[in-house]
Amino acid sequence: MTWPGNNEPPRSGEPVSAGVAMAAVAVVTVATVVIGFHGLRISRTTSDFYVASRTVRPWWNASAIGGEYLSAASFLGVAGLILLSGTDALWFPVGYTAGYLMLLLFVAAPLRRSGAYTIPDFTEARLASPAVRRVTSLAVVTVGWLYIVPQLHGAALTVRIATGLPSWVGSVAVVVVVCLTVVAGGMRSITFVQAFQYWLKLTALAVPILFIIFVLAGNGAAPLAPPAANPTGASPAGPYQNVSLLVALLFGTLGLPHVLVRFYTNPDGHSARRTTLIVLGLLSVFYLFPTAYGLVARVFAPGLARAGQADAMVLLLPGRLLGGVAGDLLSALVVAGAFAAFLSTTSGLVVSLAGVISQDVLGGSVRGFRLAAVAAVVVPLGFAFMTDSLALAGSVGLVFAFTASTVCPVLLLGIWWRGLTDAGAIAGMLTGGLLCGGAMVVGAVAGTGQTPPWLAQPAAWTVPTAFAVMVIVSRATAHRVPAGMPRMMTRLHTPERPLATER
Amino acid sequence: MTRVRVTAPHTGQGLPGQRAAGPVESRETAQDSDVGQVFVRSLIRSQLRLALVVAAGFLLILAAFPLLLVLAPGLAETGIAGVPFGWLLLGVGIYPVIGLSAWLYVRTAARNEARYRDLAGEQ
Repeated sequence: MTWPGNNEPPRSGEPVSAGVAMAAVAVVTVATVVIGFHGLRISRTTSDFYVASRTVRPWWNASAIGGEYLSAASFLGVAGLILLSGTDALWFPVGYTAGYLMLLLFVAAPLRRSGAYTIPDFTEARLASPAVRRVTSLAVVTVGWLYIVPQLHGAALTVRIATGLPSWVGSVAVVVVVCLTVVAGGMRSITFVQAFQYWLKLTALAVPILFIIFVLAGNGAAPLAPPAANPTGASPAGPYQNVSLLVALLFGTLGLPHVLVRFYTNPDGHSARRTTLIVLGLLSVFYLFPTAYGLVARVFAPGLARAGQADAMVLLLPGRLLGGVAGDLLSALVVAGAFAAFLSTTSGLVVSLAGVISQDVLGGSVRGFRLAAVAAVVVPLGFAFMTDSLALAGSVGLVFAFTASTVCPVLLLGIWWRGLTDAGAIAGMLTGGLLCGGAMVVGAVAGTGQTPPWLAQPAAWTVPTAFAVMVIVSRATAHRVPAGMPRMMTRLHTPERPLATER
Repeated sequence: MTRVRVTAPHTGQGLPGQRAAGPVESRETAQDSDVGQVFVRSLIRSQLRLALVVAAGFLLILAAFPLLLVLAPGLAETGIAGVPFGWLLLGVGIYPVIGLSAWLYVRTAARNEARYRDLAGEQ
């Protein structure tokens, strides 16, 4: 195997062999559709469609949660950002994982015990208010749509880099496959698809980087730059940005609609906790690999940090450092994993959005669910066509900030505070949504270079403000605490009987 | 495994008490008495305290990691097998801390629930 060396200019044409890459995408797509349709035989009722009738085993469920959660941002964006900003970017994988810890501590078991299907179901039942339901639905659908857009951007980037086809092919392919699987099988088949995709993603990241490290060590390749050296010369993030990012990721995870809908597939509260514990293990193992990619690229291929290419680093690294047939095959494996990431996160989001849209607008039938699924994915497709891809990890970080400012406060206070009222919940969600949404719009209009840190990373002030408004307005409208509140709190926090999984 | 089938809730239906009676319902009605509510409140308090303590402990350790690198700058440069210590700490070392916190929490939360069940069962 030859060592391509430092001064070699980037290869012209497609860095990844187009034919092999297209075959990889096709294999992932076919596998997804086959597993999706296989599940069709066992999903028949409305209940099956929404939450797999709550009979999914913890290991399956945990793999599915991992598969759904690890999106384009985790698969491509994190490694690219580590290449650009070094140890500062390590806060992203740490925050994504620690967010699950917060979910376990504050939300997992009570939410499962609430017996609700979706977040709007939960807030409506807890606060006895259809108005709260509508505002929550609005927040959830906004979050879901915002989160699908970077997935489609990631798909466009991958297809362009890997096959040389125009960008839109990638986004449209993801939308079509997701529509097919969701409309055909609903959640049961999605669970199997997602579980398969976690393991595919892990393999697709782990095998190439381990091979690369092995070959580099065998060749005694000389490092081109120390790990601390910044390949672009951009200034490092200040402490404010790191703290604000961490707030967004820690609190944003526990409001993500596609993450929460998974908890309803656990049979009881205790198994919801056990599932989360397994998820934490799966995420911890997964994030070792983007970190390794970032570090290896920093030391051995800092040239990949060129403007606009950092997100594609994971796709390009095997070709750059290995070349030849091995490079092509490993690149194809990475492309397959990346496609699995776009498909799984998008389908998870579409299922949860379709659940919300169909129940609120279309009456909750299976037919309504299918219509809603199409609506859930076509709108972000239009949005993805109109916008440009930013750094994937960064744009997903903003979605987390929005979730942390809207859905997270109403969930946390609804579960743990008896004094929450419908007026307080609505005021808090609107305040958080307007502040964070406003910051995102201003940031997008001004452009990345011109935005001051407090606008670029708004979570540190929007999240506390949303909490404060929710508490103050609830206090002022204390007479509106619903009469059924003690019963609901009992239901959220007391263990189910019989003791299905205890001891 | 117990298979709990639930029907899709419809818009306009507010309180859980209005839903179709099921196995879940009995555990709420059993706790309607004043004594039952005392037990429930104490369970919620102990679960919240547990969650806050674990979260605070984890965040303290998380904050200690970068502080350690600032206070001992020599540490960031040394490393194992060419990987600097700063990268190992945040890129690898934090995950066992997360896993351990989660495991401790799950164990203790189940214990809190078992204690509640004993109390409520004796009633």
